[in-house]
Amino acid sequence: MENLTGQGRAAIDMVVDPGSFREGKVSALSITDEEFGPGAVIGTATLDGTECTIIANDAMAANPGFPVVYAGIIGLEEAYKMAQAVYHSILADRGKPLPEKRAIILIVDTPGNGPGKQEEIFGMNKATGAYQMALAEARKAGHPIVALVVGRAISGGFLCHGMQADHILALSPKFNTLIHVMPITSIARITKLDIEWLQELAKNNPVFAPGPDFFHKLGGVEELINSNEEMRGRVIVHLAEIRAKKMAGRDEELGPWGRGALGAERGGRVARSRVIKVMNDEFEKVAERYL
Amino acid sequence: MIAGRWEQLQSKSFLESNARERAIGLADSGTFTELAGPRHRISSPHLPLMGEAVEFDDGIVTGVGLMGNKPLFIASQEGRFIGGSVGEVHGAKLVNIVRMARNSHDRMLAANPALPEEKRPAVVISFETGGVRLHEANAGLLAHAELMDQFQDCQGKVPIIALIGSKVGCFGGMGFAAAAADTIIMSQFGRLGLTGPEVIEEEMGKDEFDASDRALVYRTTGGRHKYIMGDCNLLVADSIAAFRDALRGVLAKPHAEISAMRRIGSLEKVLHQLRLVALCVKLAPRDSRDVWKYAGNGSPDELADMDFDTFLKTAERLVIDDREG
Repeated sequence: MENLTGQGRAAIDMVVDPGSFREGKVSALSITDEEFGPGAVIGTATLDGTECTIIANDAMAANPGFPVVYAGIIGLEEAYKMAQAVYHSILADRGKPLPEKRAIILIVDTPGNGPGKQEEIFGMNKATGAYQMALAEARKAGHPIVALVVGRAISGGFLCHGMQADHILALSPKFNTLIHVMPITSIARITKLDIEWLQELAKNNPVFAPGPDFFHKLGGVEELINSNEEMRGRVIVHLAEIRAKKMAGRDEELGPWGRGALGAERGGRVARSRVIKVMNDEFEKVAERYL
Repeated sequence: MIAGRWEQLQSKSFLESNARERAIGLADSGTFTELAGPRHRISSPHLPLMGEAVEFDDGIVTGVGLMGNKPLFIASQEGRFIGGSVGEVHGAKLVNIVRMARNSHDRMLAANPALPEEKRPAVVISFETGGVRLHEANAGLLAHAELMDQFQDCQGKVPIIALIGSKVGCFGGMGFAAAAADTIIMSQFGRLGLTGPEVIEEEMGKDEFDASDRALVYRTTGGRHKYIMGDCNLLVADSIAAFRDALRGVLAKPHAEISAMRRIGSLEKVLHQLRLVALCVKLAPRDSRDVWKYAGNGSPDELADMDFDTFLKTAERLVIDDREG
């Protein structure tokens, strides 16, 4: 068992066909500048002989233009680079039937978005928003998207790189995989709640406590994977499952909306569906006045 | 509603207004119906476990109203309840109002494919939030992803207009959401960003960014800066009427024109943003004023302090030519 935190590139090799990854190329897109968004690795590989787009974090790279962007942080360049890879995947397969839409595989190991001054001046929120919209568009255009969390999937970083996927897989906690918004220490500091009490509560409260198993309980992760060797096989299985659902028109069972239903099914998020039902019922009573 | 109340709301400061006043005042007089409102007493099931008080609207007002013939699906966040933060219930209400707008659009168009644009639904969100509610952080984060998913479904169908002029501003993951709207309307008191000032200070050191320096915080994320950068489309005075007038002006435009106001949401927009990022590398700004100056504002120091009307007349907005380089 090998901990893959910081090993985004190694994780790519463990998933795709040996030697098939071509970095920087996605159909008509070719990025050769090594200093442009180096923390984001994009490219094309084959998986079981079929072409797919790969988007990963490289935690070993640091961006020379942005001092806060290193260790897997997604900065302005990284996010737009990732978005470009997605849009070029869509363009490449435009007009092709669903079975031929290339898969997009997200290898996730990011501690978050660029938290700097330049980022705020130029609008980091746009960059990560752009990448999320690109992924949502690709998913709705029929591309099967799997996110595989191999290390850190933290807050806004995970939101943009991972949470728009059709299915999310994560290595189990024994790999020190981290999925959370903030560590308990920071939550305690900001909410001014007692840390020891929060730590006690965190043992079995999936709604706020850090951990892949809690996200699983909330429906935020489809499956936890227990060994590195299984990653490739599970990605292949999930991609096939996703493609079958898209071809059957069952898109609503996929992506963030699908995970909402999964959260209710697993008992972690039950208030959500109750609120939605109340709203919909109430609206039906007045809809005629408005529509 | 008490007679005259709607008229009184119009002149009220947007900054001082609570979420319900904003929701009621933005729609035509007497047309706003709240959905899943306080009478249903749907509060967070998670806050009591943490010993925290609940609100029966979980810090967000959602409902439907009219602007002329147009159905408005409105969400309005309440900063006075845990900073307008997004928990499970709050998030579900926000996500579902957007979904409801898109479903209504599809339903209306199915019944009448020739339905004129002036009768088609729009989404209006008055943001006042720091993003995820830490007491129910995981559920809040999941709701953010759902919102972006619903936003994408609305693209090209239902315009989404973001309004930002309340005390908390719009930060964290909700900063992404606002950026993904078709149109952003702000007042000079509105603030929009991703990382809050304290976190930037923590990352960069107090010498680089002093979070207690109010003027610096506004220069970096405030309405005037966002207006110069093109990161808000319209900058308006601080009243509900001013926001409503701007909203009406935007929604009167053909949908294609509203979509053209977007910052992100297509490859072309991404390529344009990349030109701005290249400019950021070139300028390596130590302060927003460096960019204001580049945009053609000779005396950037004065821009932050001059009165609002003079600012609107004087300020040069950043223009980047996509044909360059």
